[in-house]
Amino acid sequence: MKRWIALFGFAFASLAASAEAAQAHIVSVRLGDFYSGALHPLTDLQDAILWVALGLLAGAVGSTERRWLVMIFPVGLLVGLAWGAPIGPALTGPLATAATIVVLGLLLAANFRIPAILLWLIAFGIAVARGAANASDLTPDTNLLLFAAGLACAGYVLITLTMAITLAFRQTDAEPSVAWRVVAVRTLGGWLAAIGIMAAGVQIFAPQLS
Amino acid sequence: MIRRQSLLVWTASTALVLAAHPAAAHEQVGVAGGLVSGFMHPLTGLDHLVAMVAVGIWGAQLGAPAIWILPITFPLVMALGGVLGVLHIPLPMPEVAIALSALVLGAAVAARLRVPFAIAAVIVAVFAIFHGYAHGLELPNSANPLAYGVGFVVATGLLHLCGILLGTLNRWNAGERAIQAMGAAIAAVGCYFLALSFGVNI
Repeated sequence: MKRWIALFGFAFASLAASAEAAQAHIVSVRLGDFYSGALHPLTDLQDAILWVALGLLAGAVGSTERRWLVMIFPVGLLVGLAWGAPIGPALTGPLATAATIVVLGLLLAANFRIPAILLWLIAFGIAVARGAANASDLTPDTNLLLFAAGLACAGYVLITLTMAITLAFRQTDAEPSVAWRVVAVRTLGGWLAAIGIMAAGVQIFAPQLS
Repeated sequence: MIRRQSLLVWTASTALVLAAHPAAAHEQVGVAGGLVSGFMHPLTGLDHLVAMVAVGIWGAQLGAPAIWILPITFPLVMALGGVLGVLHIPLPMPEVAIALSALVLGAAVAARLRVPFAIAAVIVAVFAIFHGYAHGLELPNSANPLAYGVGFVVATGLLHLCGILLGTLNRWNAGERAIQAMGAAIAAVGCYFLALSFGVNI
């Protein structure tokens, strides 16, 4: 028994000794660029905040036609990626991102029933801009098709999940017993707008800090 | 003999595992530090902490619409103050104003002060400017401003939530007394910081 333990320990030590540094973006293996595309926006705070804010807003207005967003958003990401891939630089900077967060946050905080067409246009605009921004880190070795598929999947999953969770959480405005849920979602809007105001202020008045 | 060998092998294994390189994920510069320092700033300053909890309790005592408008609008006004702080625009006696916020809001809770909503909103907004100013002023140079903003806005919002939850105790007589005692304690903390800000050593 003790011999087995010693053997196991030796094998474990051999494996540990042969380990190499982990690589988060597994670009050298098959489908690595898919995971790069999927994870790239999730490791960028601007993308994460914008996408969640958009999902919250769409879930808060919550009627059937708003659900087209789950199609429009990934398509917009792909358009932005196709736009940004050849030219490199992003369509928008941190100031535009901060201003968009402020607008989305205020719409959410005010519980504004945004028309569906306007929501689609905002979502498509954000998706194109962020798709182009995500293209800025493409290298000549990147498989564009896999990267695009990963990015679109991430956009689809995050927007759909955020919308669905918001819809389920809010339930209905008509029920006084669940009114606090609407207030909670609106409060998140206030938080988002505050974060955007802070970031926009820094970008405008003290860009050297960003 | 075998036991000693096993021990040696396990020690070597552990040492090798501990020496492994960390994975280099796709991190933006200063995001983690900004998030942590922004989140901790309202929590580690006792004057900020008690004042934010008092805002939530007072909102709960005042009832609708204060209970939901104050948590929505407070972060917005606080962010404006945060921008002033980042720009190092001088505001008059910010430390005194923050200590006063704890004193006034704590006293309002202790006395179950009922004022028109507009007046409550103005009082809280003025104090929000100064709290945001202090957060913005202490933005670390190495921190990502967006991440820092996320940190202090979320921490402040959670403190309001704590206050609102505590405020729901006012449905019971004993709970109401406990809330008033909390208000008095908050006001006492405010007095302490007010004395400190005027240079009085206690």
